[in-house]
Amino acid sequence: MRLYEFEAKILMEKNKIPVPQGILIKTPEEARKAAEDLGKVALKAQALVGGRAKAGGILFADTPEEAEKKAETLLNTKISGYGVHSVLVEEFMDIKKEVYLSVTIDRIRHQPVIIASSEGGIDIEEISKKYPEKVVKYHIAVGEKPDPYVGREIARQIGLKGKALTTVGAVITRMYDLFLKYDGKLLEINPLAVTDAGFFAGDAVFNLDEDALYRHPDLKEMGITVRHELGELTEREKKAQEYGFPYVDLDGYIGVFPGGAGFGIAAVDLIKQFGGEPANFMDSGGGPTVENMERMVGLLMDNPKVTGIFGARFGGISRCDLWAEAVIGYLKKRAGEGKEIKPMIMRMTGHMEKEGQELFENAKKEHPEWFENVKVYGIETPIEDVVKEAVKAAKERRG
Amino acid sequence: MAVLIDEKTECIVQGITGKQGSFHTKLMLEYGTNIVGGCTPGKGGQDVHGLPVYDTVRECMETHPNATCTSIWVPAAFTKDAVLEAIDAGLKTIVIITERIPIHDMLVIRKKAQEKKVNVLGGNTPGVISPGKAKVGMLPKSAFAGGRIGTVSRSGSITYYLANTLALSGMGASTCVGIGGDPLIGTGYEPILELFEKDPETDAVLLAGEIGGVYEEMASDFIKKMKKPVVGYITGLHAPKGKRMGHAGAIIEGEMGTAESKVFALKEAGASVAAKLSDIPKLLKERGV
Repeated sequence: MRLYEFEAKILMEKNKIPVPQGILIKTPEEARKAAEDLGKVALKAQALVGGRAKAGGILFADTPEEAEKKAETLLNTKISGYGVHSVLVEEFMDIKKEVYLSVTIDRIRHQPVIIASSEGGIDIEEISKKYPEKVVKYHIAVGEKPDPYVGREIARQIGLKGKALTTVGAVITRMYDLFLKYDGKLLEINPLAVTDAGFFAGDAVFNLDEDALYRHPDLKEMGITVRHELGELTEREKKAQEYGFPYVDLDGYIGVFPGGAGFGIAAVDLIKQFGGEPANFMDSGGGPTVENMERMVGLLMDNPKVTGIFGARFGGISRCDLWAEAVIGYLKKRAGEGKEIKPMIMRMTGHMEKEGQELFENAKKEHPEWFENVKVYGIETPIEDVVKEAVKAAKERRG
Repeated sequence: MAVLIDEKTECIVQGITGKQGSFHTKLMLEYGTNIVGGCTPGKGGQDVHGLPVYDTVRECMETHPNATCTSIWVPAAFTKDAVLEAIDAGLKTIVIITERIPIHDMLVIRKKAQEKKVNVLGGNTPGVISPGKAKVGMLPKSAFAGGRIGTVSRSGSITYYLANTLALSGMGASTCVGIGGDPLIGTGYEPILELFEKDPETDAVLLAGEIGGVYEEMASDFIKKMKKPVVGYITGLHAPKGKRMGHAGAIIEGEMGTAESKVFALKEAGASVAAKLSDIPKLLKERGV
């Protein structure tokens, strides 16, 4: 999970990494006041996505009036589709040179790595393409903390000398400390701005491991809690998150109620391969509660774009009869309320499969009109035949 | 024999007194797994399904010195400790059922595992099963039939569908190994491929991968060196970028982790790649199985 720039900079400042003077604002008036204190300023939209400068998310102002106007512009901007709710107003810096610094995890070697370049200010991918000889990578052994000389050595390798070498060297080792301290996945300063007054973190990206957030209560006190990787969620994604199951909205019309996550990813592919368009990804595996099963099916049934649902259950351990009971119970409730039952084409297999099938058969006998479009296959039917039929049913209903 | 486990392998269960640990211990015993005991700190002296519970893994090993395999059913916050304890006590196959283990903990686990030549499956693995012989983990027995194909996958549900596809086509599996759906896992594909390559009861390997990370790409160098045929199945060709697809590790980050890159790497290495499950038996037959 990514922190906002202003959050990353608070943590950096606490760890003695120099950052420009800045004030976080949420209204244009606050921007004016901030600029009265700071003089000439940079206004930086706070967003959880990259490419902010290219999207017009950074503006400059010479006067408080101008700052107010530009803050208003930014607060009404969208960065890669996500709304801007706050702006970091920072003192303007006359930058002489830009350096690139980051700490991340090398996913192949399974080791932390410090990456540095004298050519900062552009994406590291671009630096690596344009100046591959100017990118220094320095791996750190797992469980070790680099001594200060490591920072100086990296500074030397990117061509720094004199005070620049010792100052940037110290920044590098402090970055590593910060990265380790908060279970970082990526800590990036790009650029580290060189001005007449010294070195400052121009921009700051800090991605944390959300699975380790529990051991950092001080972040919680700062208001940093688990958040979605890329800013805003759709309404349905928000609901699913609240209920506690993984769900991603896609563009199509076939609801996916797939069982586990791995097969959920496969189901999205299979629906596409058989000529359909999936409406979502979901992880409905691992024996969800009856309440959550109702919410999962409900979320799909209530989606106006959905014209049919593909479902799969590879139980084995959790019982098919309980799964069937929950699905049937919800569909009955729904039909009883006069709500539409869209076609559901499913395969259910595993422990107590026969009992589960009987429950569906009985439900069909009891309410043929409600369950006429609900089909449940068993272990003898290959899963792909079930996907094909679901695609066909959803397409027919779509007209 | 099959790889990693068979009916003789002595296994222990860490977190045996917990709800999940206890429930699955019963199912593993019923399947025929040779479980000799379990561990829960502070609960030594109790028994679960007739098995002795010990306070520490070392204490367990003093009584059962031939145990080689453990499964871990403890919360993520305690997993690193439990795994290091198991490695330290000399266990050689460690199955981490727990999911969403902090990445920096996994780095430590992986380093230690490599130093001590231990296979650590997971986090977030359904486990490992040699059909008809033994299973360690929570795999549902109905999916699996014995045979001569080895499977290795990051996903639990995909493991079940692979096995089910093999069973329906009359082929069956020698051993099915889940290496885990977490972003950083203890053991990649290569050590498992190496075991299958050497196993006289395995004729070919079915490797399933999914979006996220670079484990499939890392496997491709080893596949090039293999004599046994490999059939791959990669999911997530139609997954959106930047969205986590259920598994913590299943996310395309920037240019890294796309299904296209994995399919390309496998094909380059000489594997046949199935576009869908139903293509798998056909491709295996084409490769001489």
